[in-house]
Amino acid sequence: MADSAKQKHEKLASLNADYAAKYGFHDPVDYFHKGAKGINHEVVEMISRMKKEPKWMSERRHEALDIFFSKPIPLWGNTQLLNEIDFANIYYFMKPVEEQSTDWADVPEYIKKTFDRLGIPEAEKRFLGGLSAQYESEVVYHSMREDLKKQGVIFLDMDSGLREQEEIVSKYFGTVVPSTDNKFAALNTAVWSGGSFIYVPPGLDVKVPLQAYFRINAENMGQFERTLIIADKGSRVHYIEGCTAPIYSTNSLHSAVVEVIALEDAYIRYTTIQNWARNIFNLVTKRASAYRNATVEWVDGNIGSRLSMKYPCIQLLGEGAKAEILSVAFAGIDQHQDAGAKVIHAASSTSSRITSKSISKDNGRASYRGLVKIYKNAVNCKVSVECDALLIGEEARSDTYPTMEIDNDQVKVEHEARVSKVAEEQLFYLTSRGLSEDEARLLIVNGFMEPFTKELPMEYAVELNRLIELEMEGSIG
Amino acid sequence: MNHLTATSATDSAYLIDELAPALERGPQWLREKRQGSRQVFNSLPLPHRGLHLWRYTDPEKFLIRHGRVIDTPFADDYDAVKKIALSHLKQGHLSGLVADLGGREIKIHGDEELAERGIVVSTLSEAVDRHQELVEKHLYQLVNSRTGKFEAMNGALFNDGIFIYVPDNVTVEKPLHLLRESGRENSAHFPRLLVVAGKNAELTVIDEYGGGSADIDRGVSNTNSAVEIFGLEESRVRYVSLQRQMAAAHSYLMHRARIERGATMLTIPLAFGALTSKHNFGVILNGDGAESKMYGLLFGSEDQHFDNHTLHYHAASRTVSNIDFKVVLRDRALSAYTGLIRIDRESKTCEAYQGNRNLLLNKGTRAETIPELEILNEDVKCSHGATIGPIDPLSVFYLTSRGIDRDDAVRMIVSGFVASTLKQIPEDLQERISNFVAKRLENI
Repeated sequence: MADSAKQKHEKLASLNADYAAKYGFHDPVDYFHKGAKGINHEVVEMISRMKKEPKWMSERRHEALDIFFSKPIPLWGNTQLLNEIDFANIYYFMKPVEEQSTDWADVPEYIKKTFDRLGIPEAEKRFLGGLSAQYESEVVYHSMREDLKKQGVIFLDMDSGLREQEEIVSKYFGTVVPSTDNKFAALNTAVWSGGSFIYVPPGLDVKVPLQAYFRINAENMGQFERTLIIADKGSRVHYIEGCTAPIYSTNSLHSAVVEVIALEDAYIRYTTIQNWARNIFNLVTKRASAYRNATVEWVDGNIGSRLSMKYPCIQLLGEGAKAEILSVAFAGIDQHQDAGAKVIHAASSTSSRITSKSISKDNGRASYRGLVKIYKNAVNCKVSVECDALLIGEEARSDTYPTMEIDNDQVKVEHEARVSKVAEEQLFYLTSRGLSEDEARLLIVNGFMEPFTKELPMEYAVELNRLIELEMEGSIG
Repeated sequence: MNHLTATSATDSAYLIDELAPALERGPQWLREKRQGSRQVFNSLPLPHRGLHLWRYTDPEKFLIRHGRVIDTPFADDYDAVKKIALSHLKQGHLSGLVADLGGREIKIHGDEELAERGIVVSTLSEAVDRHQELVEKHLYQLVNSRTGKFEAMNGALFNDGIFIYVPDNVTVEKPLHLLRESGRENSAHFPRLLVVAGKNAELTVIDEYGGGSADIDRGVSNTNSAVEIFGLEESRVRYVSLQRQMAAAHSYLMHRARIERGATMLTIPLAFGALTSKHNFGVILNGDGAESKMYGLLFGSEDQHFDNHTLHYHAASRTVSNIDFKVVLRDRALSAYTGLIRIDRESKTCEAYQGNRNLLLNKGTRAETIPELEILNEDVKCSHGATIGPIDPLSVFYLTSRGIDRDDAVRMIVSGFVASTLKQIPEDLQERISNFVAKRLENI
C-alpha cells in the first residue's frame, strides 16, 4: 500500500515536473493594478470604472453580482470540490499593464517571454489570421492580418469590442448566456474582463483560424474572460483558444462565458484545448445559437485543470440548423473532467451529433454529462449521441450522465455509450509484433482519440499527441 | 385490525405523528424501527427538485394530504381479478395466492401445502412472532429510512405486509401471486414485502398492484410500497411487478434486491396504470458471479406520468447485469427513465448492459431518458443504449401496401416491439399483459 502510494507520488512528481518545465513557470510581476481579494459591489464598481464602460454595462455587472449572491453552489457535479471554492480568497481583477499592444515588440519583456515560451507568436506567424493574448484579466497583445481587417472582419479583445463596437455588443451581450443562467455565469457577468470579440460580415469566409491564448500567472487569480462571436449571414469562421497556468499550492478559478451566434447559413467552428494547471477550477459556460441552416461545431479538448465543469451548448433556433460537438477529456491523477455537451432543438429539421471520448487514468475521473432537448414543435429532428470511455488503471473512474428530453414523436434519437479498458487482445497483438507494452498502449489510446485529433489544425494535433504521450508515460504499473 | 382514520391534515408531519403510534406494536426492535422511521420522515425535507432523480416528478404528489388512511372500499374489479387468480391456483398454475387488502386484511391461499415443504408465506405480523430471527435479520435492511423520506414513510406506516421464505435447496415450481389492492379516493396504502430465498432455492413472485382512486375529481389515492428481496448463494428468483392501478392513483414503489454468490435474479417491472407513478427497481450484485436481468415494459396513455429508475450495483467481481427497458407512449403520456449502473472499485471483470427504447405513437407524448454509468475500475465491459422515436413510417407503409389497414399495422408493430419482453413473463400472466397492451392500442 505504502509502495503504491509512493509510486503514485513519484508519477505525480514526474508529470508535474514536465508541466512545470513547459508551462508551470510564473513571472514575478509588478502589476499595474492588483485589487484586493474578495468580491463585493465595490470590486465590481472599481472594474467598471477602470474600464470606463458605458452605464448599461456597469448596471448589468451589479445586477449580475446580486444574482451571483442569490444562487446556491450547484447541487450536482463534483459538489465536494465546488464547495472548496473560497470566493473571498480570489483576486477578481488584475491588470498587468496599462496599455494593450498591437506590436509584439511593445509587450513587456516578462510577458513576451511567457508567450514566447508557450510558442504563441510562432504559431501566429505560421498559420493564424489573428491572435489575442490574455494575461490575467486583460488582453496584453492583439493583432490581426491586414487583409482580414480590410475585408471587414472585426477581431478585438472584448474590452475594445465594447468601446469600438458598442452597438453590436449591446445587441448580443448576454442574449445567449443570461446572467441568470447559473451562478458562475452570473459571476462572470459581474467581473468579466478580457476575452475575444469577433464579428464576421455577411458572406465572408475567413479561411485562416483566429486564436486567443489565455494565461493565468498569479496565485489565487480568478480569470473571467468573456467572448462573443457573431458570424453574419453566410459567413464562415474558425476560432481557437488555448490556455495554461503555473502550478500553485492553492487553487485558482477560471470562469469564462462564451457566446456564439451563427446567423442564417453561417458556419462557426470553435476549438478549445484546455490545458490548465492541475490546481485550476475551470467552470465555464459556453453556448451557441444557430439560426436557419447555420452550423456550429464545438471541438472541445480537456486535458488540464483540477476540476472542469464544461458543457458546450448549441441552441438550434432555425430550420435546418446543425450542431456538432466533439468532446474529449483526459483525466489523470487527482483530476475530475466533468465535461459534456448540450443541444437544444427548438426548430424543425435540425440535426445534432455529439461524440464524446474520455480517458480516465490512475485515480482520474472523467464524466460525460449531457442534455439533448427536443421541443414539442421541432419535428423531423435527428440526434445521435455517442460516448466512449477508456479506463486505464485500477482506480480510474468513468461516469456517463446523458439526459434526453424528447417532447414530440417525429424525431429520431439514438444514444450509445461504452466503457472499457484497453483490450487485452489488442495489446497482445501489438506486443507480439514487437512493440513494447507502453508503445502498444499509446498506440491504442492515440487510435481511440483519432476522431478528435483529426479535427484539429495540424499543429494542435501534434501538440495533443505529445500531451497524451506525456500523460501515458509509465502507464504500466 | 386497526382502522386508522385521520382528520384532514395539510401538514404531513402532523399526519404521520397521528397515524404512526397506533402501528407501533410488536416486539421492541420493530417498534424502535418504526419510531426511527417516523423521526426521519419528520426531519427530512422533501427531495430537492434539482436532483435529477426528482427532476421530472413532484415529490409533493406522494405526501398524504387527505383524510382517510386505508379504511375505504375497494375497486369494483378486485373480486373479478381475485376470481381469476383463484382459478389459476385451483388449476395448479400458481403455488399460492395472497390477497392483500390495503394491508388491513391479508388472506393467504395455498400456504398449507407450501408449509409442508418448509416454505413460508405469511403476513409480516405473523412472521414477526414465528420467524423472528429471519424477519429481524432482513426487514428494513435494503429499504429503510436511510433510503429516503418516502421509504421512511413506509417504514413508519405500513400496517401489515407479506413475508415469503423458501428454505435452502427448495424449488417453488409455480409462481406465488400477490394481489395488492389499494383503497379508493383519499386513501393511502403502504404495502410491504419481504422475500428471503435460501441457498439454491428457486422462486417466482408476481406482485400485482390494483385499485386506487378512479376519479380525480373526488381525490387521488396514494400507494407507497417497499419491497425487499434477498437471494442467497446460488438462488434463482424471478420477481414480476405489475402496476395496473386506477386512473387517479399515485403510486410510489421502492424495490431493492440483494443477491449473493452465483445467484440469479430476474426482475420484470410492468406498468400500465395509475396517474402518477414513481418506481425504483434496484439489484445489488453482492456475491461473486451473481447475475441480474431486468426486462421492463410500460405503456402510457392519456395523461399518465411514469417515472422509473433502475439500479444495478456491482458490489462483487465477475457479476453480470442486463437491462432492457421498453416504453410505449400515446396521447399525452410522459415517461422519464433514469437507470444507473455502478461498478465498485473492487469489483473486477464485470459486465453490464443497459438499454432503454421508447416508442412514441403520437405527437404530444414525452420521453426523457438518462441512462447513467458510474464505473470505478478499468476491468469492465459496460455499455448502454437509448433510442427514442416514432413507429417507423416505412414499416407502416410496407404493411399497408400488403393490404393491412393502418391501425392494424400499428398494432402489429407495437406487438412486435413488446414481444421479447412478454416472452420473459410467466405464462399465466402473458395473456393478461397482452390484453393490457391490446386495450391501450384501441382507437389509435
